[in-house]
Amino acid sequence: MIELRQVTKVFGGRTAVHALDLAVARGEIFGLLGHNGAGKSTTIGMLLGQVWPTSGSVQVCGHDISLQRAKALHRVGAIFETPIFYDYLCGRRNLEILSTYTGITPARRIDEVIEWVGLAGRERAAVRTYSHGMRARLALAQALLPGPELLILDEPTNGLDPEGIHEMRGTIRRLHVELGLTILLSSHLLSEVEQLCSRIAVVHQGRKVFDGTLAETRRTESWIDVELDRFDDAAKGLMAAGWITAVEGGCRMALAPGATVPVVTRWLVENRFEVSGIAREQQTLETFYLSLVKAARADDARN
Amino acid sequence: MLHLQLRNELWKLFGKKRTYIGFAMFVLAQLVILLVFRFSRASSGMGALLENNGYDMTSFLSPLTAATFTNFWLAYLLLPLFGTLVGGDLVAKEAEDGTLRLILARPISRLRLLALKWVAGALFSLLLTLMLGLTGLLLGLTCFPWGGLFYFVPGESFAVFEPGTGLIRYSAAHLLMALKAISVMGLSFFFGCFNVKPAAATILALSLIFLSFILMNIPWFADLKPWFLTYHLNLWQQVYGDPIQWGRIGESLFLLVGFNATFFAGGVAVFSVRDIKS
Repeated sequence: MIELRQVTKVFGGRTAVHALDLAVARGEIFGLLGHNGAGKSTTIGMLLGQVWPTSGSVQVCGHDISLQRAKALHRVGAIFETPIFYDYLCGRRNLEILSTYTGITPARRIDEVIEWVGLAGRERAAVRTYSHGMRARLALAQALLPGPELLILDEPTNGLDPEGIHEMRGTIRRLHVELGLTILLSSHLLSEVEQLCSRIAVVHQGRKVFDGTLAETRRTESWIDVELDRFDDAAKGLMAAGWITAVEGGCRMALAPGATVPVVTRWLVENRFEVSGIAREQQTLETFYLSLVKAARADDARN
Repeated sequence: MLHLQLRNELWKLFGKKRTYIGFAMFVLAQLVILLVFRFSRASSGMGALLENNGYDMTSFLSPLTAATFTNFWLAYLLLPLFGTLVGGDLVAKEAEDGTLRLILARPISRLRLLALKWVAGALFSLLLTLMLGLTGLLLGLTCFPWGGLFYFVPGESFAVFEPGTGLIRYSAAHLLMALKAISVMGLSFFFGCFNVKPAAATILALSLIFLSFILMNIPWFADLKPWFLTYHLNLWQQVYGDPIQWGRIGESLFLLVGFNATFFAGGVAVFSVRDIKS
């Protein structure tokens, strides 16, 4: 559904996106992760033909966005970080206005979408009277009007309260399951991405530093958490035996290459240590992300 | 589809309260000028001028004369102000508010969007000018009895018309005045296509119009008048000429159409390569 090849965007002298390659397959919920200013919004701008790439090619729904923008965006919906509308007009009129930029939309379709997002009964009220949550629903409604195959969400939970965030998360899942939409979700909220996405790309200073499945980000590290009596003695023994290379915090051990949890457990039991618990340390998306950013910063400093 | 999209632009334009500032201020200004004209020595001075030139004052101190007198000043000062205000808003305000990003997430081309906005702005300008003409006449009817039209610009023009001819000239003048309103709107629209605030687009357009007006009125530059935009913007005054200089009207019409096409093409060129960001 989305394919970016070696896309670079330079604003003045600043490179906002650098040689970015990205591919999102049909049916995926893909997370674009990065800190504020990492280049996520610029990337989304290029996907929607709002920002022109300096070099590289951007394909959306099989069409080059620079050459066939209308075809590329015909079945695309988008939501931006702050839901902005014509406040002085009612919700329904906003939808009528925005829908005609795609094509003729029957009134019945607008009713359906209003019903789907839960705005029925308030669609005739001026948008200026809407709460932030209602605006977010209206934003979703306008994105759904063209019957999209691809939904691009740029920080969709920005400014929402916890209840609103929970609701939006549920809605995104529904969109994926009930309507089978491909979703590109840009966010700096790790928990949001972790709960929704099957694959992610992490961008840092305009460069992609990771692209893979969420499972890959949770790969086990070489550290194990150990609960046992006489930790220091055990650590010395394991070190001497060559099964671990380091200890940390009185409960963590770094496995040596070739060492496994069963091997370490057997050694501890055979040497009469009382083992209450032993487990590989599970890496969270947060620790993974932070390690990526740390490594990227170190790279930047070296260069 | 085109008519639906144009209807949307009009909904957006006429849904805003600030759009009506021009209409409200025009009526207020007309009322004030008319009352001062009616109840000061201005009308008797004009009557004396008519009498001294052999015309019956009572036949020409009429709604047509009063409305022409009133609208002459409004067309010089307030019409460019409200035209540029709306022209500057059409693109720049949507960019500033963020709604432009919402529109451009859809498959409409930038050229089509600008064309729709320009047409909506032109319709607003036409409506504003026609309203100016109509309310001027209606307010004039409350102060003076129906009669002929007297048009006087010191040192430039002195003309009297029978009521029927006067009404035709008055209507034609307002149609051409609409072209002035459209042109100033178009100039401001052009500036609004750059990455600027709406107020900046309005101020830039007004500054150019004022500069042109100043240059045109410096006596030493009298020979250069036809080179200035305001010279052609004031084309509407030509229909009060006796006889009408059709050549001058044709030349100005042609140039104003050219100016408008240039402003629009320039706006499209700038807007098409612009990056639209939040």
